[in-house]
Amino acid sequence: MQSISYNDMQFSVEKRGDRWDIIYQLPDGSSGVAGAGLFARLSESEAGPRALALIKTIFPVGIKSVGPDVTHPITIGDLKIIGPDVTHPNFIYWDKDSVSCPKEL
Amino acid sequence: MEIKGSVALVTGGGNGIGEAVAKHLAKHGAKVAIVDMVQKNVDRVVKDVKDMGGEAIGIQANVTSEADIARAIKGAVEAFGKLNIAVSCAGIIRDGTMLSLDKETGKVSKKLGLDKWQAVIDTNLTGTFLTMRDAAEAMVNGGWEGLLVPISSVNKVGQVGQINYSSAKVADALMPKIIVGEFLMRGIRNIRCVAIAPGYTATPMLTGMNQDALKAILEDVHLGRLVAPEEIASLIGHCVENEALNATTLEITGGLCYPNGIAK
Repeated sequence: MQSISYNDMQFSVEKRGDRWDIIYQLPDGSSGVAGAGLFARLSESEAGPRALALIKTIFPVGIKSVGPDVTHPITIGDLKIIGPDVTHPNFIYWDKDSVSCPKEL
Repeated sequence: MEIKGSVALVTGGGNGIGEAVAKHLAKHGAKVAIVDMVQKNVDRVVKDVKDMGGEAIGIQANVTSEADIARAIKGAVEAFGKLNIAVSCAGIIRDGTMLSLDKETGKVSKKLGLDKWQAVIDTNLTGTFLTMRDAAEAMVNGGWEGLLVPISSVNKVGQVGQINYSSAKVADALMPKIIVGEFLMRGIRNIRCVAIAPGYTATPMLTGMNQDALKAILEDVHLGRLVAPEEIASLIGHCVENEALNATTLEITGGLCYPNGIAK
């Protein structure tokens, strides 16, 4: 069995027959099976890197920008919210995933 | 194509039809990537496949996200080395008539919100497009034999109260003709596309509904009961193995009729 710590999650790569299971555990103690019956006939030293690569794909780390909320009212009661000025010509309205970023602005 | 040894990706694989498809394919020897919005449902189905002695990975993903679909397909190929079958079961409903009228004045009192329209189009049409497109990309670039399976619905004929859902599902039903025609033009001969259009199916959404309403629905089904998700999964398994099935949409309804007995 091999343990992997990644993104505040604990993974164990466990041998079952000639294959490998990837079990994950969250900080709250809950657990799940990320993968079952993988990497047939691979040794532990071969399965470990394959498991880590797969874990990084299945559980990506990153930030998804969802703001600013351009539909938010400029005032809340008698409070006036300052910026961003969504009517400014330099403001870029952005509501797409990062993969949709244009090559040039 | 044989199911045994193939690699399948099933969106909406965390419950209902998608869960049945994932388990059917795994039971018959396929390696399965289970994709769903809800992590606990993904975990449950992957564990079930594991307990069956099968091979599976689980990926929490939103099919409306281009990045999520790309990640799911990358994960399937990383885990199993190829991709052969893609089934887009992820779907939602947000029913409502386009206009609601005030009973007294006869004037429009309410319109179907854009949020209800867009959510259904995004999931049921764009999500299917992204899944089929990126799965096909992987199959073509990998040189792997493949089957693409969009999930349509018998309500593609046009169901009152489902202008969003029916619009998406009729578009899904058209995909096999367009995709296979494009493949023929491009010289891609080893990837097929067959859509499935289920009728009223015993998913948690329907079995949990008002039983009187369910009874009324079943009066128009010749079979006299809901279609079982496993029966749809079995049909998809047949589509994998029968390569003459191509560029078409198959209905599986149990004989759904209009109230006056005309088959829908």
